[in-house]
Amino acid sequence: MSNGKQRSAKFRKPMKTALVLALASMTLLAACSSKSDKGADGGANGAGERVTLKVEVFDRGNSPAGATITDNYLTNYVQESFGNPNNIKVEYVPVPRSEEVEKLNVLMASGGNVPDIVFTYDPNTFHRYAKQGGLLDVGPLLDEHAPNLKAFLGEEVLQYGVYEGTQFAIPAKRSNVGKYASFIREDWLEKLGMPVPTTTDELYETLKAFKEKDPGETGGQVIPFGMTIASAQYEPLIWSFIKPTTEEEAFTLTQQLGSNDYPTLLPGFKDALQFMNKLYNEGLISKDFALDKDKKKMGEDIANGKIGFYSEDDVNPFYDNGSLDTLQTNIPGANLKPIDVFQNSEGKYAKPMYAPNGMYIMIPKSSDRAVEAIKYLEWMASEDHLFHMQNGVEGENYTLEGDIPVAIENPSEEALNRMFNSGDMAIISNGKQLGSMEKNLEARALQFPKPFYDQVQEAQRIANTDTFAPIVLDRPIEAQTKYGTTLLEKFNEMIVATTMAKPEQFESTYEKMLNDYMKSGGQAILDERTALYKELNG
Amino acid sequence: MSMGAYLRRYWQLYALIALPLAYFIIFKYGPMYGIQIAFKDFNFFQGIGGSEWIGFEAFREVFGMRDFYITLRNTLMLNFLDLLVSFPAPLILAIMLYEMKVVWFKKLSQTILYIPHFISWVIIGGIVLQVFGTQSGMINNLLASFGIEAIPFLTDKYNWLVTYLIVGVWQSAGWGTIIYLAALTGINKELFEAAGIDGAGRFRKIWHITLPGLKPTIVVLLIMNLGHMVSIGFERPYIIGNMAVREFSDVLSTFVYRIGLESGQYTLATVVGLFQAVVGLIFVLGSNYISKKLTDESIL
Repeated sequence: MSNGKQRSAKFRKPMKTALVLALASMTLLAACSSKSDKGADGGANGAGERVTLKVEVFDRGNSPAGATITDNYLTNYVQESFGNPNNIKVEYVPVPRSEEVEKLNVLMASGGNVPDIVFTYDPNTFHRYAKQGGLLDVGPLLDEHAPNLKAFLGEEVLQYGVYEGTQFAIPAKRSNVGKYASFIREDWLEKLGMPVPTTTDELYETLKAFKEKDPGETGGQVIPFGMTIASAQYEPLIWSFIKPTTEEEAFTLTQQLGSNDYPTLLPGFKDALQFMNKLYNEGLISKDFALDKDKKKMGEDIANGKIGFYSEDDVNPFYDNGSLDTLQTNIPGANLKPIDVFQNSEGKYAKPMYAPNGMYIMIPKSSDRAVEAIKYLEWMASEDHLFHMQNGVEGENYTLEGDIPVAIENPSEEALNRMFNSGDMAIISNGKQLGSMEKNLEARALQFPKPFYDQVQEAQRIANTDTFAPIVLDRPIEAQTKYGTTLLEKFNEMIVATTMAKPEQFESTYEKMLNDYMKSGGQAILDERTALYKELNG
Repeated sequence: MSMGAYLRRYWQLYALIALPLAYFIIFKYGPMYGIQIAFKDFNFFQGIGGSEWIGFEAFREVFGMRDFYITLRNTLMLNFLDLLVSFPAPLILAIMLYEMKVVWFKKLSQTILYIPHFISWVIIGGIVLQVFGTQSGMINNLLASFGIEAIPFLTDKYNWLVTYLIVGVWQSAGWGTIIYLAALTGINKELFEAAGIDGAGRFRKIWHITLPGLKPTIVVLLIMNLGHMVSIGFERPYIIGNMAVREFSDVLSTFVYRIGLESGQYTLATVVGLFQAVVGLIFVLGSNYISKKLTDESIL
């Protein structure tokens, strides 16, 4: 008995020691990590001492050999042209492009290592940060340090960065606001002797002919209409069914989820779903479209010549080694013709366009390098820095024709690798900026392989035809910030469920999905927008 | 023995336990500090300490969300079905492997059965699409060549459930046999010989010797599985699931991902996490208690 007691007493003591040891090792670990944190912060802001400016950068995992996303031609250019003269070390913090919001949230919440310049395409994320008081008011800094940047962006674009009266973000400027065009297999039309469809009804007839006559000789594998659950594929179709609305209806019934406007409650939306349902049940769209979130499967099917028609971001099919390029390698003689076909009740090819701003560039309130951050953006907007970042080196990457830079046709490996992250480094602009929309579009078309030049121009013209702008809200709708992500999934789910329902079950499926959508935040958005409209219009 | 002498003599043991102990303190107990987020209006920029206390307000909000109940139902449903299908599978496989007498074939089968465990869900997701797709999946292409209409394995919710379960078994069953095979080596071989002399056939032996020998292992694993009833991995439902079957595939982990990481509402996400932990604890204690009463086997 006494023996056992003794043993347990003995046992307890070492246990305590072990615990103390463990705790001690923990503190040691903690001490180590906090030490390294300090080291990364760079020197104290002593006079003339070199400081570190941390800038977020999107990582698409496409760095060429010999370069990384944080160390490449453009980062060196920034360091030499901007960093060294100002005694600033510019350090890039990579964030994976596909999870920008998630990673940015984690970065911001982690406190210590937040970059001095962060950005997002998602207005709700911007609003949330502003509301929680995490962002710096950049208005005064812009006035003091950034005359060129302000002139470059202009009043209209800057407005998008205002949250409840304060300039909490610097929105990038978009060079081109067109979004979508549709594409049809021209060779299939010729083979069937059919005209290019110009209305939704004609398109339906064409799709049926594609299905029945299989002009691509796919052996029954034909997918007349390429569809996915990415917005580029369904938006042109859906918006063409939306009926004319009053300004009040448009304001109150539109739902902004993420960065796009959605027509969930607008009159005509149900008709669009009904049409999708018909297409699906007649086998005109892929049975697996609901599985295709990232357009990968559709891309494959286009390249393999199974798809007859689809809608897409205007110039998307025309990249080097892109859809059309691969299609023509696989099937000689195949061609994609850009067309405008989804006509609304007013005879217009109504489709959404982008807001004039690109992503929201923000400086966290906790940043010690706000002035340097603004100076960096100002530097980018000054002299020919932006031009250089977007176009590279004259003679190696481009030649000037008039004042439009034309990409050199067979650039050296080195020249090509120079520009791999151009779009993600030139953050103040979305797309090439040459002073006017016409020039911007021309320059964009010239970037593409020569044989596709006319098609690219046509697609761009279509993307800018009959467009309507996103609705500008003078104040953020809180319910949209809160429920946006959830509702966006519900919206996609609604499209999928109603499209795939049996025709006789369409009605009940639609009711069920809409009900769920409204209860999950749709109603809250509607109420808030209605209240705001009343407030603004008396 | 004095304290010093004791430590000198056994220090290796304490050194061994120090690392796991540190692991649990740092990664399991340390983060519990963050649980308070569930009771605070968490603000990124003020940090945990600086955010305002809001009591149970966030709980009221979560318990008022439709998606919470749908995802909770789906989590329980998927886990329960998984328990029915995936729990017995490794047991049966282990017994079959144990009964195999040809050594090279046994080794080969084991290796083949383990492999899926090492494949990431992202890859499995791709394979599933290629095999089970409706438009151009392998199985449906085969069916089509016989003139049979395509089966929507992935886009009809009930079919999807079956696919989900089968893929789960395929991925995990082989790996799960390891524990059982280890337990089986502990069974006294003489029992089998004695039973053989008494005229017992193969199935009699399995029923009366193998299974009773595995009983403690089975019970422990079952209790641990029940503890995980309300928690579910993120990857499998997220990757195997899709928009068409969201009614079934949206589970608590994807819900937390959506409201927490994607929408930045960390308070709500923490509430769900805490809820899962508490219910999980109740389940473990409850099943442990019942098992103790019924079979005398328990883990506590």
